[in-house]
Amino acid sequence: MNRRQALRTGSLVAVGGVTLAGPAIAGGAEQPFRHGVASGDPLPDSVLLWTRLTPSADATPGSGRGGESGVGWEVAHDADFRRVAARGRVRTGPERDHTVKADVTGLDPDTWYYYRFSWRGSTSPVGRTRTAPAVGSDVARLRLGVVSCSNWQAGHFAAYRHLAERGDLDLVIHLGDYLYEYGAESDAVRPHDPPVEMTTLEHYRRRHAQYKTDPALQALHAAAPFAVTWDDHESANDAWAGGAENHTEPDEGTWVERRAKSQQAYAEWMPVRYEPGGKLYRRLTFGSLVELSMLDLRSYRSEQVAHPFDGGVHDDERTITGTEQLDWLTSGLTTATSQWKLVGNSVMISPVQFPSTLNTRELEAITGIIGPIEGVPYNVDQWDGYTSDRAAVLRALRDHGVSGTVFLTGDIHSGWATELPADPLTYPLSGDSVATELVCTSVTSDNIDDYLNVPPRTLSLVVEAVIKVANPHVKYLDFDSHGFSVLEVTPAHVRMDWFRLADRTDPDSAAEVTASYRVPAGTDKLERAPRSMDGVTPRHEAATDDERAAARRQALARQEPR
Amino acid sequence: MTDETITSGAADDVSRRRFLRVATTAGAAVVLSTAAGLPAVSASPAGAKTLRVYVLVVDGLRPDEIDPHATPHLYALRAEGTNFPQARSLPVMETLPNHVMMMTGVRPDRSGVPANDVYDRDEGAVRTLDRPSDIRVPTLLERLAGTGRVSGSVLSKEYLDTIFGERASVRWEPEPLIPITDHAPDLATKLALSAMVDETDPDLVFVNFGDVDRVGHADLTGTSLGLLRAAALGATDAHVGRFVSELRDRGLWESSVVMVIADHAMDWSHGHKLISLQAPLEADDSLAGKVAIAQNGGADLLTFTGPEPERSVAVERMRGIALSTSGVLSVHRPEELRLAPDCADLVVYCKAGWRFSDPTPISNPIPGNHGHPATAPIPFFVAGGHPRVRKGVTSSAAATTVDVAPTVGELFGLPPIVGGYDGEIRAEALFSREE
Ligand SMILES: [Fe+2]
Ligand SMILES: [Zn+2]
Repeated sequence: MNRRQALRTGSLVAVGGVTLAGPAIAGGAEQPFRHGVASGDPLPDSVLLWTRLTPSADATPGSGRGGESGVGWEVAHDADFRRVAARGRVRTGPERDHTVKADVTGLDPDTWYYYRFSWRGSTSPVGRTRTAPAVGSDVARLRLGVVSCSNWQAGHFAAYRHLAERGDLDLVIHLGDYLYEYGAESDAVRPHDPPVEMTTLEHYRRRHAQYKTDPALQALHAAAPFAVTWDDHESANDAWAGGAENHTEPDEGTWVERRAKSQQAYAEWMPVRYEPGGKLYRRLTFGSLVELSMLDLRSYRSEQVAHPFDGGVHDDERTITGTEQLDWLTSGLTTATSQWKLVGNSVMISPVQFPSTLNTRELEAITGIIGPIEGVPYNVDQWDGYTSDRAAVLRALRDHGVSGTVFLTGDIHSGWATELPADPLTYPLSGDSVATELVCTSVTSDNIDDYLNVPPRTLSLVVEAVIKVANPHVKYLDFDSHGFSVLEVTPAHVRMDWFRLADRTDPDSAAEVTASYRVPAGTDKLERAPRSMDGVTPRHEAATDDERAAARRQALARQEPR
Repeated sequence: MTDETITSGAADDVSRRRFLRVATTAGAAVVLSTAAGLPAVSASPAGAKTLRVYVLVVDGLRPDEIDPHATPHLYALRAEGTNFPQARSLPVMETLPNHVMMMTGVRPDRSGVPANDVYDRDEGAVRTLDRPSDIRVPTLLERLAGTGRVSGSVLSKEYLDTIFGERASVRWEPEPLIPITDHAPDLATKLALSAMVDETDPDLVFVNFGDVDRVGHADLTGTSLGLLRAAALGATDAHVGRFVSELRDRGLWESSVVMVIADHAMDWSHGHKLISLQAPLEADDSLAGKVAIAQNGGADLLTFTGPEPERSVAVERMRGIALSTSGVLSVHRPEELRLAPDCADLVVYCKAGWRFSDPTPISNPIPGNHGHPATAPIPFFVAGGHPRVRKGVTSSAAATTVDVAPTVGELFGLPPIVGGYDGEIRAEALFSREE
């Protein structure tokens, strides 16, 4: 029996490195809690618990069928529930697709808890969660999983399994594109349900439910609390306040209606302190060590400009955050009392130029990730398309002497570590930076080698070298790997380790560490760590030194006058 | 420096102070003065003393300037002890207020020193706060001397030396003073420090190294500024390194606590990014001739000098004019910054990369400035071989300059000053007495 079978069927299963009695994974089709359990948004005295009840065979997700039910929940200090800390009941029913959210209060700070749900004699799998440390308290270390862009059709979620098995994570940050809107594709590793592009409430609910049946995803939710934000694919590709690239009116209804449905399903199905009509952006605090600002960069943004030469890129009327969220972010960063200001940021904030020394084929492959590019290209769907908001954020950091801001980013299906120049013009000489950005790669979603249709770590190495030469603040870039990141935060540093899956189509895929970078406290600069936090020497960029050097020579040669 | 000798051990009695002339290896003589009636030389034999504290202020040092290549000694020292990477200077981020906060443990609304330069309402003029009477509460220097211990001041800048005056039991008056900058070079400061430790072995020495700040201010363009700054950093770092190895060589390390801190950081502006508030204030009919500006580099302190009944309306006009001037970051009432309400009506901060130049656009030609929030981050670490120093620790605590006095006071077992400290004991850096 391999590990995956154990996860699916085992009666003794390791979740978060702790062996739990009872089914941790809700594999059985008859199980009323077959979509697993989850927790999220931990505060010092409370945490949000989540599950979905299937009260009858016909009460399938999105169906609107099934009766009203009361679901019990229990929170205990031990996995055997001998020392119960809190218990209660919540009602659910078809109006909320039988999802259950319980905001458990009165808990102790900085404490591991176990939780489960019950209904008519059945109990759910057991989950493990952790409250945040008390406000202002000393925290020696936090470890966080960081993931984004998990496309069901592009592969299996081995990345989640590796994170679940670590057992050392206090929190998992999901930076968006948790699920994708596309209909079933013929060449998919596993097809989407429903097989159509999700546009209705039933579609969004069914798709969420499908993702929540993945055993690795269930294992990770059961292992640690999540802090999530959405990017575009939770509604539709390249979403903005008034529409989306992948939304067609009137065929797919109005955007207002479609977005409302996607947000309702998100609120129902995710362990997040968000309800429709409210704000998704929010701040979580972990003692004096960390303040985590989770952004919503889709709900308030102006429409993307058509191409990078559009003067609108610099138009100060155009926004990616909206005025209120921008004020909330900048005032939060400049008045923070915690040492590290982490920002859960769905799209990259670092300026990135895709230089003209890239050839057509390479540009087309990059286009596959970031959308159409012409001439001197920028990704207009990132902060690069909204330079006024970016300037306001970076300006505030500089003017107030704020250090320790680290943007944690997803979306771009590739791993990056960058410094944010205080002034891009003088950065190549001065090296002055005001913050750093650590970008995790996709759990499964396509990137350059997939688009180029070449073996990983071949052509992409040259593309990466060309981009690094043109963007000296980019210290690390891996355009091919899929996987996950682990972030460690201590008073001395923030460091990220990037892990790469051997094969995203294999649910049992191995993973190896391919980079480790740290931001020493007080520097806002990056340095490469010789060993990963697990004590392993990374195979940097998943390439040999010679291969990287050859790629850099090719990149420099392209700079010669032609 | 074993060959140092007292060439003139006899005391010249001038105004209750005795003078010691100490020859150094560099050939220069160092003159120390001691207060009559106080122990000038530590009573206990060197071997018996169990605690020595050295507060080393590297004036204007930015925390990101400490690195293994540019400042190897500071880098190593920081790694050895307890580091506070979140440390900040406090308003106004200038030399005098922050040195006074370090030695008093209270904020400017109690210490009496809110900025380097203020408008003195009694005298009707802007002046530098360089008089001993400007500090309104006791400092660690005389409080420690009052317990029979020996305190020393080795302050490279003339105004720093004069404001602390004769408070320490042993004082070095900076010389030679470099014209214009009015400070002694770090080489002289280091020689004086070593001579003072050799001759009088103080329990506490408060030291200011001025070169890094003074070079930071220098009016130099292009890359030569960076090179000069790097040279000053390297030289000052070497002085600190030499002082530490002297402590080790003399067997004093195990009883020493070495606190390294800056009073503020440094920010550089481009030539055209200067703010002069004098002209727009003068252009306002109701304010013309009625506003005094105390320019502090990155902060302007504005005081309305017209008739009292006009003040509240005038202050709001001043605020509006300041806020509409490019380069201005924010405007504050002094109380918001814990400055005494009579030090100014408004404190105006500039943005990073800007500076104030008042009264005229040529009043402040120097590109390096501080006083504004961009210059708040400072290095602050506690090292030394003393058993109470925690080794290899990094703390998230929001340490500030006002924490120095409570922490040093705790080491010596001094009670807090009357009314209590505004700063906190940085216990993160110290094992408790019982441990
Ligand atoms: Fe995205
Ligand atoms: Zn200074």
